[in-house]
Amino acid sequence: MTDAEIFDKTKEILVDQFDLEDDEVSLTTDLTNDIDADSLDLFEVLNRVEDDFDIKLAVAEDIKTVQDLVDKIKEQLAA
Amino acid sequence: MTVKTTNPIFEKLGMKYPIVEGGMTWAGTGVLAAAVSEAGGLGIIGTGYWHGEDVRREIKRAKALTDKPFGVNVMLLSRHIREVFDVIIEEKVAVVATGAGDPSPFLDELHAAGIIVMPVVPSVSLAKMMEKKGVDAVVAEGMESGGHIGMLTTMALVPQVVDAVDIPVIAAGGIGDGRGVAAAFMLGAAGAQMGTRFLTAAESEVHPNFKAKILKAKDIDTIVTGNLLGNRARVLKNKMAKSFVKNEVNELQKEKPDAEAIEKLESGTLKRAVQEGDKDGGAFMAGQISGLIHDEKPVAEILEDIWAQATDLMGVENTTK
Ligand SMILES: Cc1cc2nc3c(=O)[nH]c(=O)nc-3n(C[C@H](O)[C@H](O)[C@H](O)COP(=O)(O)O)c2cc1C
Repeated sequence: MTDAEIFDKTKEILVDQFDLEDDEVSLTTDLTNDIDADSLDLFEVLNRVEDDFDIKLAVAEDIKTVQDLVDKIKEQLAA
Repeated sequence: MTVKTTNPIFEKLGMKYPIVEGGMTWAGTGVLAAAVSEAGGLGIIGTGYWHGEDVRREIKRAKALTDKPFGVNVMLLSRHIREVFDVIIEEKVAVVATGAGDPSPFLDELHAAGIIVMPVVPSVSLAKMMEKKGVDAVVAEGMESGGHIGMLTTMALVPQVVDAVDIPVIAAGGIGDGRGVAAAFMLGAAGAQMGTRFLTAAESEVHPNFKAKILKAKDIDTIVTGNLLGNRARVLKNKMAKSFVKNEVNELQKEKPDAEAIEKLESGTLKRAVQEGDKDGGAFMAGQISGLIHDEKPVAEILEDIWAQATDLMGVENTTK
């Protein structure tokens, strides 16, 4: 899976979960400050990411931006 | 349809009642946990940010009082978590419960040691993630609870978690008598967990001021601190709780609110409530069900009375008699 494909799929999850427009999600989007995701929202996103990418993530507290999330997915896909 | 009032995990542990004493930092001592297990429930020792040797001391206090299995609740964010798990494995504790955080990095070694792992979950998605990682059961805890809390109520959370996972779901938050336990089973739970109710047990070692405050509390007497900044925790109202909330509001009005400064206000306050009974400065963590609790009685009686009422309401046989 290319970086762009990972980003697109991640964006799809975020757009759906938070009712956003496509152009509201970029790699620099901060989940807490820009999208106002609370900790329960983040678990929801992680759970969907696990299912859609068929990977396992730690319930990590160090995911701040979309880039962080994409990096984590890449790491797990490679593992 | 008849209600199923047990689950494979409770059966394996040989529990008489499908009732768990939720781990409570400082308040859930080895003595209280042993009393709950000895009486036929599952007692869980609370350990917070303790060192391994402090955890071992409480485990030994519990073992001196009961041969029945009991659990330890661990704080995964603790700096001492490695040594705490080493002690738990060495001492062959039966159950590990976890509050905030993700126990999955430790799951393999805990399972290899034969330890049952049940994390507290505040939402459906976290319950699903935990099930995928292989935990044995989840505790779905509503925000009625005492202590640190999530956002959903027990009534709304439990059936949704039950529908989402195939492992046993234990309901927690706002349960204080047989009606609450019966309700938990009606929502599809496979067990009930209580914290606040056990704080006023005869065997509970919390300061008399703490017990008195729960016995006196009415329905409206808890408040949530850390709602705006920091970590949400339900406590009985007192000077400390009210000024905490005011400080949050003040901090939020600043140009750069400092969440850490607010979190620091909590530091040491639970211990002050539990051990010193510090009426003005302690955080008397307790749930909304405090208003229902009017007596101090032995754990065995609490469990016996609750289960008699619950089985009667559910129309199932009380086989403990
Ligand atoms: C004083 C106190 C301390 C608690 N400490 C912890 C803890 O350290 N870890 C944890 O997972 N839950 C903790 N809890 C939550 C309990 O384990 C339990 O789930 C909760 O009390 C259930 O709700 P109830 O109080 O309405 O019965 C605590 C609760 C209280 C009242």
